[in-house]
Amino acid sequence: MTAIYLDYAATTPIDPRVAERMIECLKPSGAHGNPSSAGHDFGRAARALVEKARAEVANLIGARPETIVWTSGATESNNLALFGAARFAADRGCHIVSAKTEHKAVLDVLKQLEREGFQVTYLKPDSGGIVSLEQVREALRADTVLVSLMHVNNEIGVIQDVGAVGRLCRERGVLLHVDAAQSAGKLPIDVEAMCIDLLSLTAHKIYGPKGVGALYVRRKPTPVGLRPLIYGGGQENGIRSGTLATHQIVGMGAAFAIAAKEREADVARIEALRERLWQGIAALGAVELNGHAQLRVANVLNVAFHGVEGESLQFACRELAMSAGSACSSASEEASYVLRALGRSDQVAQSSLRFSLGKYTTADDIDRAVDIVTREVRRLRALATGDGNQAANG
Amino acid sequence: MLQATAIKLPTADAVAVYAAAVIDHFDRPRNAGRLQPAPDVIEGSAGRRTDGVEFHFTARVAGDVIDAVRVRTFGCPHSVAAASWLSERLVGMTRAQLQQWQWREAAQALEVPTEKRGRLLVLEDAVRALARSWG
Repeated sequence: MTAIYLDYAATTPIDPRVAERMIECLKPSGAHGNPSSAGHDFGRAARALVEKARAEVANLIGARPETIVWTSGATESNNLALFGAARFAADRGCHIVSAKTEHKAVLDVLKQLEREGFQVTYLKPDSGGIVSLEQVREALRADTVLVSLMHVNNEIGVIQDVGAVGRLCRERGVLLHVDAAQSAGKLPIDVEAMCIDLLSLTAHKIYGPKGVGALYVRRKPTPVGLRPLIYGGGQENGIRSGTLATHQIVGMGAAFAIAAKEREADVARIEALRERLWQGIAALGAVELNGHAQLRVANVLNVAFHGVEGESLQFACRELAMSAGSACSSASEEASYVLRALGRSDQVAQSSLRFSLGKYTTADDIDRAVDIVTREVRRLRALATGDGNQAANG
Repeated sequence: MLQATAIKLPTADAVAVYAAAVIDHFDRPRNAGRLQPAPDVIEGSAGRRTDGVEFHFTARVAGDVIDAVRVRTFGCPHSVAAASWLSERLVGMTRAQLQQWQWREAAQALEVPTEKRGRLLVLEDAVRALARSWG
């Protein structure tokens, strides 16, 4: 039996329409030219495709195309945003505010910035995984230069009101960086209304290719200052050098264009399937939702299963492709740091599973997943308690 | 030669290799459950759920050997498999054999990796506790 894919928050399959547009670029008659070669048709054709994709990405987040910088993914975008903005602003201040539940691609950058002399305040979210506006307000200091908060948490799917934080930061003259890897294409984003200065994006969470992402960098009224990470040919206005990978960028643009059109319908369908999955699992009893029950995206469901050990739970459910915690967590046996930040014990955190659905998930997938999880959790619980397995002494 | 199945652990890059015997005993655990308390039934436990592993053996003694065993296990696949594997071998054992049983036997038979061997120490503790409850 083929495994059922329920790990869309880790990555998504490429939409065939995206793959088609990418393949066109890779054919002999495609767009092999260097987009920086303005002097001939080959380069200009590739450049035209790149700029079309730039507009497609900008459109999904309410930005103008010239604010989009191409990167290799959200990890690079986070690195560029945080290192770039902090180092640029270092003479004004050295304090940064973020949260304990950010992705490692933010936390590990902040750790490095601390080694370079910056001070970071890591806000602890409430038991639902949300950081309050008051917490941010209290953490801001005269020397705060940057706040970094993710829009949607990758492990538990909860939504942070980054717009409210943006307005506060704008009042206080502090930059706001938002990691939108898990929210673009799932929630509406308007960077100008939300007062966001830097926004990290990736293609592979919304049916685009891996290896390409973007960073929104506010330009008006004054451009956000960034020290580049990668130097070289001066592409992307010197912010990120390197020959642009036309086919990758076209793929990202195509994925974002499709998301703009289909987001609402996809989200409604996925939400209904997620609810079906939750109702099926909740019938087991002694299970708990990890993360705020209402302020969450449609596609992520993180559940703690009491009375079962985590590794056994995951192995028993190996017909389901999913995660315990994040796909990007360290290789240690430590339980999820996100779940521990919510106040979950190590044991409960380790006995949690993240199910993440996507546009190719079917009702049949969900029903089979419920059957598998229900069967295996009951079996493991009975193994531990002996209930239902009492032997008479005859 | 035991065939191995590679399976991705919950935590990302590490890949656990479960021996075929581990998978067999995990999927089809032998002697699961518990015997009703009775004058000829002994029991022994070790471990704590909050530590990630717990074993509870009940066994019926007939004469000077064990003639039936049941085990309850909370723990990882290696723990579940080791308890199941051991439960079959406990049948026919004497008290002295319980007192001498060593965790390395299970480690070898089930190809338990080094980082999981702590669970087998707890299993050995449960066997010793069973021996102590045997008069």
